[in-house]
Amino acid sequence: MSTYSDASSVSVPLLKARKPTGLSGVVPALIFVGIFFIVPVVSLLLRSVMEPVPGFGNYVALLGSSTYLKIFANTFIVSGLVTIISLLIGFPVAWALAIMPGRIASVIFSILLLSMWTNLLARTYAWMVLLQRTGLINKMLIAMGLIDKPLALVNNLTGVTIGMTYIMLPFIILPLYGVIKKIDPSILQAAALCGATRWQCLTRVLLPLALPGMAAGALMVFVMSLGYFVTPSLLGGTANMMLAELIAQFVQSLVNWGMGGAAALVLLVVTLLLYAVQLRFVGSQNAGGR
Amino acid sequence: MLLNFDRLGWWKYVLLAITVLTAAFLLLPIIFIAALSFGSSQWLIFPPPGWTLQWYRDLFADPRWLESAWTSFTIAVIVTILSVLLGLVTSFGLVRGTFLFRDGLKALFLTPMILPVVVLAVALYAFFLKIGLGGTMVGFVISHLVLALPFSILSISSALDGFDKSIEDAAVLCGASPLEAKIRVTLPAISHGLFSAAVFSFLTSWDEVVVAIFMSSPTLQTLPVKVWATLRQDLTPVVAAASTLLILLTITLMAFVAIVRKVLKQ
Repeated sequence: MSTYSDASSVSVPLLKARKPTGLSGVVPALIFVGIFFIVPVVSLLLRSVMEPVPGFGNYVALLGSSTYLKIFANTFIVSGLVTIISLLIGFPVAWALAIMPGRIASVIFSILLLSMWTNLLARTYAWMVLLQRTGLINKMLIAMGLIDKPLALVNNLTGVTIGMTYIMLPFIILPLYGVIKKIDPSILQAAALCGATRWQCLTRVLLPLALPGMAAGALMVFVMSLGYFVTPSLLGGTANMMLAELIAQFVQSLVNWGMGGAAALVLLVVTLLLYAVQLRFVGSQNAGGR
Repeated sequence: MLLNFDRLGWWKYVLLAITVLTAAFLLLPIIFIAALSFGSSQWLIFPPPGWTLQWYRDLFADPRWLESAWTSFTIAVIVTILSVLLGLVTSFGLVRGTFLFRDGLKALFLTPMILPVVVLAVALYAFFLKIGLGGTMVGFVISHLVLALPFSILSISSALDGFDKSIEDAAVLCGASPLEAKIRVTLPAISHGLFSAAVFSFLTSWDEVVVAIFMSSPTLQTLPVKVWATLRQDLTPVVAAASTLLILLTITLMAFVAIVRKVLKQ
């Protein structure tokens, strides 16, 4: 029915607003997500306070043991390092991409996409080989005379940090590129005209303007790193576990669903809290922006 | 001045150097793996002492590799079809619907994207053990669909958001039935969103490891699970061969996507 030509139809949209429409479209997905997402996740979390006996015993055991606390520490240290390194490398790269001639930039973009789209296991395998004692990286460092004997670069947290930084870099470069690209170059010109040095332009104008993008990208990378499973287990070895591996181990080898659920809840709560911070932060930035 | 490439002075060279080094860092493992897969060293010595196709022969001689690749492909295709269909219906509801909690519902549908995959994997593993879907094809499809659906809903609803509904209304006024108008007017107009949804859904399922590790059984495993299990044992060059084929597939897919995007734009 057309409501455009009819002047008396003002009430039609109002009626429409009162009667919910489109609900039938979302019902199938709602049922699917309800059964295969909400029910499994909630029942896993419930098991943490129900098994083996009702109560918070699993949480006491999880947060009271130095073995588990070391795993939490590993997880936060590696995620923090990966975030900082990605940010330090990612900012100049995103900056260069935003201003360099289009043809070179598109080559760099293709490399970024290729790396992102390449199978995760293939990339992790490459680093397992590259970083081993007889691997290319050690050989190159020895040939350059920087070290005498091979460094232990894999089966420890160094390997995990290198491998994860490799995976996370595109996730920080691409959003940062978007933010820097949107900055009006004349703002920096104005700063320079007013007598700001190059360094002042960078620290007082460009960095603050890029800050929301940096914060959003960094939070995203940090959160993704916290829950990462594949790369830490392949590059970290059994002695240097991270949280996601702990959850898997509780369930797979120890068949301790209570502890598995408790560790999952901790990871879930931290993840959702950080996302809430990100939503607030980015949201308020948008509201205050132009 | 800082945002003008030609007026950066010597800073330009610093930025360029960091960018080129980063690009090399990103490219290095990919080229390295491809080179190693043709190298004759069992111990993955680089540069290889000689060249061989041995690892590719081993790969194709072992039926389990091909079987797992076929399993992956089948699951990914089914997931893609279901994800696009369900995503389409859901997006119509989310974009055009006027009901309470619409935004909350959308946020709920997108949650699997931000949830750590390992939590979902463990939760579904427990759930499927209870209802008897563990280690089955149906279990695989369902769990990958949970992960793929958010991407599908996101791509299709953003395409639908950008489509002016009055064009569809015009078709109805001209005598088309509402369904016909949707199929012949709206669907072609949002085809780029449908295409993105399909590509993301396929890749999500095809590349997925963590959930797959928990879903697999000795008789049913996907390609990533096969790679994972092999890697846990040793760093055989056969994995380099498999990885190289996967990289080749990625490049083909990227080219395909670029071409289709161009065609859809015209």
